[in-house]
Amino acid sequence: MWINMGPQHPMTHGLWNLRIKVDGETIVDAEPEVGYLHRGIEKLCERRTYTQIIPITDRLCYGSSLTWSHLYCLTVEDLMNIEVPPRAEYIRVAAIEMQRIASHLMWLAAYAADLGMLVGFIYAMRDREIFIDLLQALSGSRLTYNYPRIGGVAHDAPPNFVRDSLRACDYMEGKIAEYEKLYDGSKVFMMRNEGVGVLSKEDAMNLGVTGPPLRASGVKYDLRKDQPYSIYPELDFEAVTHPDGDCYARYRVRMEEMRESCKIIRQAVQKMPQGKWRVLAPRIGPEGTGLGRVEDPRGEGMMYIVGNGTQRPYRVKIRSPIFVTVSAAKHMLLGYKVADVVAIMGGLDMCIGETDR
Amino acid sequence: MMFRSRDFVKWADGVFEGVFRRSSLGGGLDLLTKDFFNWATRNSIYPLHFGIMCCALEMAVASAPRFDAQRFGIIYRSSPRQCDVLLVNGPVSKKLKPDLKRLYDQMPSPKWVVAMGECAISGGPFYDSYSIVPGVDQFIPVDIYIPGCPARPEALIDGFIKLQKLIKENKRGLFTGK
Amino acid sequence: MDKRGAGAPAGAIERAPTTVGENPEERTFKALLEAFPSTLTDFKKLRKGIVRARIERRDLLECCRYLKDKLGFEHISMISAVEYENRFEIVYHITCYGSCLLLELITQTPKDDPTVESVSSVWAGANWQERESYDLMGIKFNNHPNLERILLPKDFMYHPLRKDFKG
Repeated sequence: MWINMGPQHPMTHGLWNLRIKVDGETIVDAEPEVGYLHRGIEKLCERRTYTQIIPITDRLCYGSSLTWSHLYCLTVEDLMNIEVPPRAEYIRVAAIEMQRIASHLMWLAAYAADLGMLVGFIYAMRDREIFIDLLQALSGSRLTYNYPRIGGVAHDAPPNFVRDSLRACDYMEGKIAEYEKLYDGSKVFMMRNEGVGVLSKEDAMNLGVTGPPLRASGVKYDLRKDQPYSIYPELDFEAVTHPDGDCYARYRVRMEEMRESCKIIRQAVQKMPQGKWRVLAPRIGPEGTGLGRVEDPRGEGMMYIVGNGTQRPYRVKIRSPIFVTVSAAKHMLLGYKVADVVAIMGGLDMCIGETDR
Repeated sequence: MMFRSRDFVKWADGVFEGVFRRSSLGGGLDLLTKDFFNWATRNSIYPLHFGIMCCALEMAVASAPRFDAQRFGIIYRSSPRQCDVLLVNGPVSKKLKPDLKRLYDQMPSPKWVVAMGECAISGGPFYDSYSIVPGVDQFIPVDIYIPGCPARPEALIDGFIKLQKLIKENKRGLFTGK
Repeated sequence: MDKRGAGAPAGAIERAPTTVGENPEERTFKALLEAFPSTLTDFKKLRKGIVRARIERRDLLECCRYLKDKLGFEHISMISAVEYENRFEIVYHITCYGSCLLLELITQTPKDDPTVESVSSVWAGANWQERESYDLMGIKFNNHPNLERILLPKDFMYHPLRKDFKG
């Protein structure tokens, strides 16, 4: 019997449909269906100039929108061969890591709400506001920032940015310890997560899964360490892995990543040099191709841009990590019960905006 | 006497029609209760738990500790049969349009529609895309428009307060429907 | 094993062994040229860790199998399709976790025959990416397990990313 979960369903953050075939309570087949949010962004990009595309890339994945506009700017800087001033690089990295913490906190809030622990929702949303305030001081907006520019960032960091970031990191590290006590001490949370949705290492690599689910299956690959971009080579942090491959492992990887992000933010704001924060980019793009790759909070994001010597790009191709991770859903769901669907799909941190583009 | 549910509804409607709507008993009861029921309706708005895109995150944050929409009586319900407000908070693609219409039809009246964010009002930054319906009011009647891209949580709460004012101005009696 | 400990470092993948004086880019180039001497052309290092090569479409599936089985390229990152005036180009970005290398493999098809072999038998992660290229650009992948539209409604008549679609 096929059951339709979605597109309007409290579990689906964003609109997608999951059709599962059940035999009693056990899942024997699954088929995710996406496309309800398709806006044709790749076609829209061909009609806008290089700078006009930046706000659109923000809306690709709204949970971590700075990562996508940064990825776009990286790709265009690769195409146009522009070198970004160091101050801009440090501001970008600090902002991206704050965005990473905010994205993981949003995931934690939604995950806890789905699993029935509303207290997690309330605490995580309260703490996310601190980082949203910092990003609002930097860019002027709460959710879709429109802050990176081709050749740097839109404006300089505000006067007390360094002091406020350090305070936020200190606060957050205490809070992460509190969350771990809260979640690990909850018997319901542990029962719903341990041993559920196991994905083996070979399957994860073959299916194209990237990001925290890949590292939770034991593969130590983080683009910030293994193919570093921006100023990540100068910063000291660890790529976090966990050998188990179940939902609990994915949760642990994200909690540790938040700690590592606090470390990175501290180093980035303290080492930030003075100087220019932007260089002007040419209006007309050259002919050729540009490739950008970043470690998005959800996996490996890539962009491939083909320029044809005009103000508008010829082709923009976007690789969304969740698009490929969702296609691996079938392997993670087989054999588990219907009630486990929420934990397994929630643990992947799906953002449908980037899946459907 | 065994009633099927369809027959029961017809019978109940007939009783209601005769006893309340046509007689002065209905008018009298309405005079007593209209204000009270209207106060209850506008202070317990139940929107549908339906998040499309970025504005959905701001909708979630509006229920979070800093902005706290629940103090106005706004609680999200998962089933369309239990809701009275459809909050459209993102661009409506052509694949989604029939599903949204079906959700709207499933909601019992009285119902209201709030278009939150530029994408629901007019298509937003994607207005010239091949797969977006430019504005949800092309196929569903909209009562409140909340601008912003994304609309701030304070703007959402302001929109709900305006909806409360709208409900207060259009009082309808339960028994006579006037 | 204590699962509640901080992320254990166990499970780190082995890095591919290097011979002295040879970096992964050169090693890959030599191996590919030996295996496909006539159809692989235009090898170029774009920047550290990223290389590009072109291959003719009749040898594409063989080359992908060779990359996965012999050279250890475990992960297909992205499959893009670009339409030019006189051809279609399908660009495969393939990652090797072991040596942290990204290979950009480009193949061409004539404008009136945009078909190519599916690589989803080599990497299962290519399945949905090929469906998306079919849906939006109209590239047909032979021997794909389920070549259907994925992002657009099933009854949509056009391939929107083509240059002649003005919608």
